Amino acid sequence: MHFVDVMIRQAHPGPGVRPYRTFDRKMTDAETWQREEAIPYPVLVDDLEGAVHQVYGTLADPTYLLDSDGRVAYYNMWTHAPTVHEAIEVLLEQGGRGVVPGGIDHVMHLLATITDGWKGLRRGLPQSLIDIETAVPGFGIGPWLGYKFRPLLAPLTLRATPLPKPVRLGLAAGAVLATLLYVRRQE
Amino acid sequence: MRTLDAHQQFATLTTKEKPEDYNFEHFRTKHFVQDLQRTITSQGIQPGELAPDFELPQVGGGSLRLSDLRGKPTVLHFGSLS
Repeated sequence: MHFVDVMIRQAHPGPGVRPYRTFDRKMTDAETWQREEAIPYPVLVDDLEGAVHQVYGTLADPTYLLDSDGRVAYYNMWTHAPTVHEAIEVLLEQGGRGVVPGGIDHVMHLLATITDGWKGLRRGLPQSLIDIETAVPGFGIGPWLGYKFRPLLAPLTLRATPLPKPVRLGLAAGAVLATLLYVRRQE
Repeated sequence: MRTLDAHQQFATLTTKEKPEDYNFEHFRTKHFVQDLQRTITSQGIQPGELAPDFELPQVGGGSLRLSDLRGKPTVLHFGSLS
């Protein structure tokens, strides 16, 4: 397996993470990113106009799984490690070629964002927080709270592998039950 | 059939953002809405399609060409510092 990261535009700009105006600045940030996130594989830097990023869909945090021939085997539009992990396992079972059944995952996975989104937002404080709370209320405070409770939430939100099926079913049943109870109390 | 590389494909994209819009100053509701639209319409390279080739500079020096990685599966992730 090869792993490659591509550095793209700022998702949540602020005083410490200004929008890119020079390529050198983007390269410096990529070096910081690789060091702070301890990324052990190559980090590439897209050009200022996002030429590659825009061809690949312009989303903020996507992952493509490519097969051995360079074709898209799976497109995880909002990176979710357990989903990518499962897709890799299926691709390897297929001998490293072809499309993984399902092929594309549109779900806006925000579990990891709840606990680790703050790491990105805090680099651009205070503007990054003001902007996102104005644009989508709760999407700034939520990650801040999630980061505070990181030790408690991380085993669930930052898993690299899928939860066992019984646990997933239990959580889904719990969510349905909680919703039903909430609706009944409102009536 | 000749495969377009990323820069050629970029020139054909109708959804291309201008450089000043691409490197926006403030995250606004419209950016969130664009993300939702892109997600719903599956914007990007579709399963089964050949990933457009590109060569980009890498941290530490030199550059890397995507097609040089063929022969083994590749996980290609896009992300930012913020």
